[in-house]
Amino acid sequence: MRWLRPALALAALAAGLVNLTLIARAGDAQPRSLLYLVIAIVGVSWSFVAVGLVAWSRRPDNHTGALMVAVGLAYALPGLRLVHSPAGYTLYLLTATLPSAVLAHLIAVFPDGRATSRLQRVFIVANYATTVPLAFAQLLLVDPRRLRCPECPPDLLGTGGQHPFGEAVMAVSDLWDVVLAGLLLWIVVSRWRRAPAPRRRGLAPVVQVAVVLLVLFGVRQALRAVLSPPPPWLDGALDLAVLTTLMLWPLAFLAGLARSRLDRLAVGDLAIELEQAPSPDRLQQALARALHDPTVQLAYWLPGQQAFVDEAARPVELPPAGGGRSVTILRHDGDTVAALVHDAALDDEPELVQAVAATARLTIENQRLQAEVRAQLEEVRASRARIVEFGDAERRRVERNLHDGAQQRLVNLSLALGIARSQVPAGADGELAAALDEAAEELRLAIAELRELARGIYPVILSEAGLGPALASLAERSPIPATVAAAPADRLPAKIEETAYYVASEALANAAKHARATAVTISARRCDRGLEVEVGDDGVGGANPDGSGLRGLADRVAALDGHLRVDSPTGRGTRITAELPCGS
Amino acid sequence: MRVMIADDAVLFREGLARVLLAGGIEVAAQVGDAEQLLARVRADPPAAVVVDIHMPPTHTREGLEAAQRIRADHPQVGVLVLSQYVEPHHAVQLLQDGAGGVGYLLKDRVADVNEVVDAVRRVAAGGSVIDPEVVAQLVGRRRTRDPIQELTERERQVLALMAEGRSNQAIGERLFLSPKTVEAHVHSIFTRLDLRAAPDDHRRILAVLAFLRA
Repeated sequence: MRWLRPALALAALAAGLVNLTLIARAGDAQPRSLLYLVIAIVGVSWSFVAVGLVAWSRRPDNHTGALMVAVGLAYALPGLRLVHSPAGYTLYLLTATLPSAVLAHLIAVFPDGRATSRLQRVFIVANYATTVPLAFAQLLLVDPRRLRCPECPPDLLGTGGQHPFGEAVMAVSDLWDVVLAGLLLWIVVSRWRRAPAPRRRGLAPVVQVAVVLLVLFGVRQALRAVLSPPPPWLDGALDLAVLTTLMLWPLAFLAGLARSRLDRLAVGDLAIELEQAPSPDRLQQALARALHDPTVQLAYWLPGQQAFVDEAARPVELPPAGGGRSVTILRHDGDTVAALVHDAALDDEPELVQAVAATARLTIENQRLQAEVRAQLEEVRASRARIVEFGDAERRRVERNLHDGAQQRLVNLSLALGIARSQVPAGADGELAAALDEAAEELRLAIAELRELARGIYPVILSEAGLGPALASLAERSPIPATVAAAPADRLPAKIEETAYYVASEALANAAKHARATAVTISARRCDRGLEVEVGDDGVGGANPDGSGLRGLADRVAALDGHLRVDSPTGRGTRITAELPCGS
Repeated sequence: MRVMIADDAVLFREGLARVLLAGGIEVAAQVGDAEQLLARVRADPPAAVVVDIHMPPTHTREGLEAAQRIRADHPQVGVLVLSQYVEPHHAVQLLQDGAGGVGYLLKDRVADVNEVVDAVRRVAAGGSVIDPEVVAQLVGRRRTRDPIQELTERERQVLALMAEGRSNQAIGERLFLSPKTVEAHVHSIFTRLDLRAAPDDHRRILAVLAFLRA
């Protein structure tokens, strides 16, 4: 129905022109105040239709625009009063309450365009169901000429006389208007109270005008009911005030739209803020400011995990639809980049959300990549720690198996051999004794070799007595002179002790193998962060930190979140330092 | 002489019992853990106990701790600790606690019947025993400035035997030297290593070990 809106616009224009023509023709036949009123009514009619059509085209799915057009058209009807004939006047009286009824409907459902609560629905039904019948009853029972309009023509349905209930019916109708206005005021104010911050910005001008309008209308109707009739100057002034306020309503609506548009212009500020490559925290604050929603939350998409996470890589659960929270998915080339979780009120302003999202997209994507890298790093760190821990556990297990298995069996064997040897009678069979002695010696060497092998796999003294004795034992076995300058007297977590031991052991082996050192000093000291192990030699220096031994040590130390430094200037010895945090 | 054996390896302690028996030593009890050993010692203290350093439940220091308890509660009971590893740290720890009557021997040393019987008798008599392997590791340790290198071959032998806990008489018997010659060697060693003469065998072994580990 592409023609519908232009047709409605034309109809409103025509009705307004008819009204203005009637005014021109009326001349002095009508009181001047009435002419002013009709001019004001034409203004109301046109402004509602014009702004209503704008709103309609902007949001076809929202009935607010259509309702505004309906209000505008309804306000063309009171001009009928100027048709100086009983038929015109009768029609005027019949439709006199329609404009305010439609207006009440509009105010009640603004800005959603439809009733969303029971109270709203009840109000709308009560509004239409009572105002029109009451107007009809008045028409039947009251001769308006007697009461308010002595110069008006007679109406077709009137009894011509004054019905005894006439005044009572009019008073009831006016009081009912006061009740409806009060109810509507309640609806408007309570919705304002419940509205979240982003929505209030758009609502504010319209709500303010509506409140003034309803108060003025309520006062006018109350005075009519109580004073019946009030002095014409007072009634006329209130009429004019109501209509003037009414004309402001579409303007307030436009102001609300302009505010949203200004918000979109303010997205430029966001762009400037993003220039500084803000931290994830500040980015979120900037988005909250740009969207006027302090509850905005940014969730980055991790394709690897198929999950949304926050800036600290913690999982984020997106809220379900229709719970007051809304989600806008940000995409780049069709791929999900992030999600903006915001107040559902912002769904009224998709342009603003899109503008903010487009502006922040690069920064957000950047942050998302960072979040992804952080998550992967965390994963790698954890897996490296697991690998090292698994390796250490495996070493302990192998050592234990050797100790309880092969070593113990060989010891039993040497014991059996010793018993056998002791049973050879002295001086009896020299050959047997010699063979047994030879076997015992071979076995002793085998046990000694196995002992060294097991010790190399895992030094039991480390778990039995701690780092100090283990380092002392290491130094005592060292093929080059080694001394332990310092070692903690107390016990540390096993993985710290093990890593510290392997650092010293590997550094010592390097010094012996490659450095041509003549002395090595090992020290392990408690420091602020945890433990610092230092192994220094007086060798030729020039150690390659990326050699497999040192590289492996660096990895092992990094698995505990520690640092390994290799300081090895050519000709001036090598110093290897490992910092091991104890907190991990 | 009565001894008790504590080791969780049944085969080993049976064999050890046979060896000791063959050496004329009565084995009053064979147990599998430290708790039982302590109970048996409390009930009827033997002349000495032979304890494996690794025993249930954790297989770390149970034997060592039991040995220290026994030395503290029953000073007349000698303690011989057996280990599969050469750890001077443990040996020195044992020695430091008391006034002798302790020994630290490698487990495979039991293959030599005479040696193990000798060690048990020595700790029972209040002497100290350190495994030759442990001493060898300490003596052979690389030092930047090594006064041991300045000793004669014979003096080094005497030093090692002192570190093993041998008395002058035993050293003389081993090396076929007269007591006077041994004394002269000992005096010479102490002077060259800049050690003060020790009043008894136990303090002598401690002084020598301290020097070797420094």
